[in-house]
Amino acid sequence: MAAAETLRRTQSARTTRFELSEGAFAYLLNLPAILTVLLLVAYPIVDAFWLSLHRYNLRRPETYVFVGLQNYVDVITSDQFLPSLSVTLLFTFWSTFGVLVLALGMALVANERIPQRPLLRALILLPWAMSGVVTALMWKWIFNPNAGALNGLLYSFGLISNYRSWLMSPDTSYLAIITANVWNTLPPSALVLLAGLQAIPSELYDAAKVDRASLWARFRHVTLPWLSQPILIVLIIQALGGIRIFDIIYLLTGGGPGYQTTTLGFAAYITSFVSTDIGHGNAWAYTVAILTLVIAIFYMKLLYGRGDVRS
Amino acid sequence: MAAATSVRRRRLATTLRYGVPWRAVMIHGASLVFILWLVLPFGWVVLTSLMTEAESLSVPPHWIPDYITFDNYLAFLNPAMLGTQRLVGGAAAQGAARAMLNSAIVAVSVAMLNMVIGSLVGYAFARLNFRGSSTLLLVYLATRMVPALAIMVSLYLIFQTLGLLDTLLALILSYLTFTVPYSVWIMASYFRTIPRDLEDAARVDRCNWINMMVRVFLPVASPGLIACAMFAFMSSWGEFLYALLFTSSLNSKTMPIIIAGFVTDVNTSPVLMNAGGVLAVVPPLALALIFQRLIVSGITAGAVKG
Repeated sequence: MAAAETLRRTQSARTTRFELSEGAFAYLLNLPAILTVLLLVAYPIVDAFWLSLHRYNLRRPETYVFVGLQNYVDVITSDQFLPSLSVTLLFTFWSTFGVLVLALGMALVANERIPQRPLLRALILLPWAMSGVVTALMWKWIFNPNAGALNGLLYSFGLISNYRSWLMSPDTSYLAIITANVWNTLPPSALVLLAGLQAIPSELYDAAKVDRASLWARFRHVTLPWLSQPILIVLIIQALGGIRIFDIIYLLTGGGPGYQTTTLGFAAYITSFVSTDIGHGNAWAYTVAILTLVIAIFYMKLLYGRGDVRS
Repeated sequence: MAAATSVRRRRLATTLRYGVPWRAVMIHGASLVFILWLVLPFGWVVLTSLMTEAESLSVPPHWIPDYITFDNYLAFLNPAMLGTQRLVGGAAAQGAARAMLNSAIVAVSVAMLNMVIGSLVGYAFARLNFRGSSTLLLVYLATRMVPALAIMVSLYLIFQTLGLLDTLLALILSYLTFTVPYSVWIMASYFRTIPRDLEDAARVDRCNWINMMVRVFLPVASPGLIACAMFAFMSSWGEFLYALLFTSSLNSKTMPIIIAGFVTDVNTSPVLMNAGGVLAVVPPLALALIFQRLIVSGITAGAVKG
């Protein structure tokens, strides 16, 4: 009797509460997020493509005319395209490489039972808490040609004979932006690898020790195989971030000297907002979007494979 | 004879191998290098911000200030103190207080909107069966990867049409584009870890859904909510590209724009610049240290920053 009463109550509660079907209720809950995505992301990305098919300059709006893929042809055949593409890809490659090596080392050390472990783990978050802008400020001051720390340090160790302007010379400006980016984007990668290390069962290391496997053999045959997925995730995150780099370039080198550090994204910004050439600017921006898309597809396949995407 | 040498050699190798704890030396050496790599660059910014202008410009650089001064920080509070520094970086310093306030308003608004939007969506994915749910989750994931560079022009034109340029609302709306997809992800995965018994108990008591969420579900899910708010706050606080494009006066300029003003100004005052950098880092750094554990688990779960 009491059970029946409870059941009836539960049912009536459910009907009064959910007059909507479960599916409709779910979409109602999703509505604010869907609106955000549709109005602020989906519409703009379609609109950007549409604009990239037009001749459109903000200073001469009357010349607005449909030109098909002409803007893309102009961008790809311009003198600036191949250098920008190679700057973008090389920047992404070396940043990713630098982060992977440093993050792996840091994760291995932070996984050891040493007294400074809590300190190291807390400090890993420092670059994460710093925005790209403050990171750029910091490195601009370090690379300062007169009073900068790098010149002072290298000079006092006798490694350079005279002060250099790191951000102004073609060979070092490139290294400078990579260093700043590696410093800034290290934390997520280090933490992902650390979590990967912590997931390795310790029995495997015990077994390897019984077999008298060397330190290197243990790393090569136990650690690395278990880390393959976290490493792949690190590579993808870094690649996605590297391709769209903007603030560090804008603030440290302004794309210079010359076009030495002009990435595709920086060219898109300059074309759209300095030359006010919206048509070509969006074509530049779409080259970034296409590179991103290729990597994103890899990423989603990976996450699907791990079962992270499920309903 | 040959045998004796080889024995001696082996003995030597054994002493070397076990006499010196190479592994420990390596680990401690590496940890020291990493700690210095993390601390020194920012440490130097902090040290410079405590110097007088003249000392900061000395060649070779002074590492430790001879005389510690807080004037560079006080100048941000009271621009009248700037004195001769008024010309070098003084204008940027004068706007900094307003820009801090703008940054705080934007970042807190974005964080609160994300908590609301994220918990609604998170609940739907964690508890309800509906058609197209996996497609929808995929759409959110894909949204997270859209580069800001690809939509910046269109957003600019939209805000121009709506008359929202140079308002905080434009920044708040544009920051939803990269925070909401991330919050959805964090919330959906966090809400799945909460046992269903809680809500079942609440249902018997005929609470309505919103009551149940506010009284029962969200308090239990608060670590997820805090992580979501934290990520939204951090990425909004430091955002640069949209702020550069959509703001033009102190009505809406945020702290990153002020900092950028110092960095790109050729005649900038290094001490004011570095003090500004430290001020801009304090709020997110404090949050990161307070919520260290939550952030670490959030980063590894989401595996992407903003």
